Amino acid sequence: MNNTAIYGVFESEETLLSAIRSIREKDIKITDVVTPYPVEEVFEALNLKTRIPALAFMYGLFGLLATFGFLYWTSVVNYPLVFGGKPQNTLSFVIVIFVMVINITIASTVVTFFITEKKGPGAVPKYEYDGMSDDKYFIIIEKDEQLDTESVNALLKAGGAIEITEK
Amino acid sequence: MYNKKVRGVLIQGNKTYSQITNEILAPQERKAPTWWFIAMFVSTLAMAMGLWAIYITISQGIGTWGVNNSIGWGWGIINFVWWIGIGHAGTAFSIFLLILRQKWRTSINRAAEAMTVVAVICAGMFPLLHMGRLWMAFFIFPYPNSRGPLWVNFNSPLFWDVVAISTYFMASATFWYIGMIPDLATVRDRATSKIKKAIYGLMSFGWVGSAKSWLRFETAAMIIGGLAAPLVIAVHSIVSMDFATSVMAGWHTTVFPPYFVIGAIFSGFAMVLTLMIIIRKVFKFQDFVTDGHLDAIGRILTFISLIMGTAYTTEIFIAWYSGMEGEIYTFFHNRITGDHTKAFWTMVTCNAIIPQFFWFKKVRKNLTLVFIISIIINIGMWFERYVIVVTSLSKDYLPANWAEYTPSIVEIGTYIGTLGIFGIGVLLFIRYIPMMAMSELKMILKGTSIITNQKQEDHE
Repeated sequence: MNNTAIYGVFESEETLLSAIRSIREKDIKITDVVTPYPVEEVFEALNLKTRIPALAFMYGLFGLLATFGFLYWTSVVNYPLVFGGKPQNTLSFVIVIFVMVINITIASTVVTFFITEKKGPGAVPKYEYDGMSDDKYFIIIEKDEQLDTESVNALLKAGGAIEITEK
Repeated sequence: MYNKKVRGVLIQGNKTYSQITNEILAPQERKAPTWWFIAMFVSTLAMAMGLWAIYITISQGIGTWGVNNSIGWGWGIINFVWWIGIGHAGTAFSIFLLILRQKWRTSINRAAEAMTVVAVICAGMFPLLHMGRLWMAFFIFPYPNSRGPLWVNFNSPLFWDVVAISTYFMASATFWYIGMIPDLATVRDRATSKIKKAIYGLMSFGWVGSAKSWLRFETAAMIIGGLAAPLVIAVHSIVSMDFATSVMAGWHTTVFPPYFVIGAIFSGFAMVLTLMIIIRKVFKFQDFVTDGHLDAIGRILTFISLIMGTAYTTEIFIAWYSGMEGEIYTFFHNRITGDHTKAFWTMVTCNAIIPQFFWFKKVRKNLTLVFIISIIINIGMWFERYVIVVTSLSKDYLPANWAEYTPSIVEIGTYIGTLGIFGIGVLLFIRYIPMMAMSELKMILKGTSIITNQKQEDHE
């Protein structure tokens, strides 16, 4: 992150998208696209994927096994209490299991989200720019030796960027 | 066909994105108005009364309450169920409508979720206080102890309550907070004072809104929402099982879980309506909370009110149809007629009859009437819990046990205290947190509004 980066500022979704597409066609790596609200087309244009749903399913499965394991162990193995001749491994475990699966899945998904995003109290925003998180859209391209700054600037300009800055 | 704009224009006034930011944050960037301090003062007074009542309850015991051996559940449980019901608003509103991809939720969800979090805090206090010995509250958790270890009863609805309500609180609080992070980042970016920037910087977790973040954000929100939707149904079903698994006449019915869930959503929506009308009026948010939004809530309330009426009728019919003397006595001689007639008919009038006025467009358009009806619904829902708790307990199968119940000043004080806490929570919310999800409003702006003067058009 010590390198400087080129910030292309856009004023609308459409110009942003066309600029993203033209830059990607030239095989230039876009470091980040920053928008004030989620834009589905940007996810598609950048070909972004997330594994959170798969992970959440695993957490749910873990929650199911862990909760049932705990209930079974306490009620059948550890302290089998007989009350009214009712079965110890009962169907009514379903309710606690149901709620705990939700509990464990939500808590772990939230933790996963913050860990993968490296966000938390005290985290410093990666970029700062006037109008970011208000109404401007940004394409951020990190500079390195191979990057042809001129052509990137030209592409951004052609794509309709209202401002191009290096920071 | 699917692109039909059923809801009409959701954000009025031909707004640009930065106008949305400016207008939603304007109330916070101004100085707090005088009424805010007055309301805060009144709420603090109410909370002080609650703290006094809680102090008396803890130091002297449950004997200071009006409950007795026959009516062991008084205002404590009535208010617990009432608050939990109101606490269903956020989830019902925000999460059901998120999963159904209803775009008109965006201007209301934040406030509804905030209300949920505060209402669940208020609700959770009652069972804790009702234990009498608060310092032993940890007994409700299954922890390895020196008594065997003897575990809690995993088949008891009271234990399910503990699990469900703590999960519900956790889920709704995280859902609310995660949804808020992008907007807190906006506040951070606009802050001019160093202290404000530092505080909101800490609260916004370093959010910048890069595409990858948004993708994960949306996915996580959808997963949490998808899981919280069945949870909200589970929570109130479980609360109803506190009653339904007993053998009291009037409680021991299978209709209770759906009846409670619907009742909770009913009171939740009504509370959302009350609050949104106030917020809209005070902060002049007519462009975001349009007449169409309030109209939609009114229609939903009409429908839920019909379900409530059906539930009441079903209960009465089944009591008669069962031929069981206790049930017949409870419903026909202790609710419809008898000692608790007033509470019963207040409940029916407020919940099943008065909301039917929403059938008329004139009523739905008259916000004063809508506001009054929304409050009447919450009064009615309070009486519903009163009818359920008190009538059944007051006259059980053994006439020697029959008793009456009047709340003591300590119980009333606790209730007023929770109203104070709720007031403080809502006031802090409207002062320090963006009241509407700005990023979501921006997301739906193009698809749902008429835009004529924006630059987007020129580029096309």
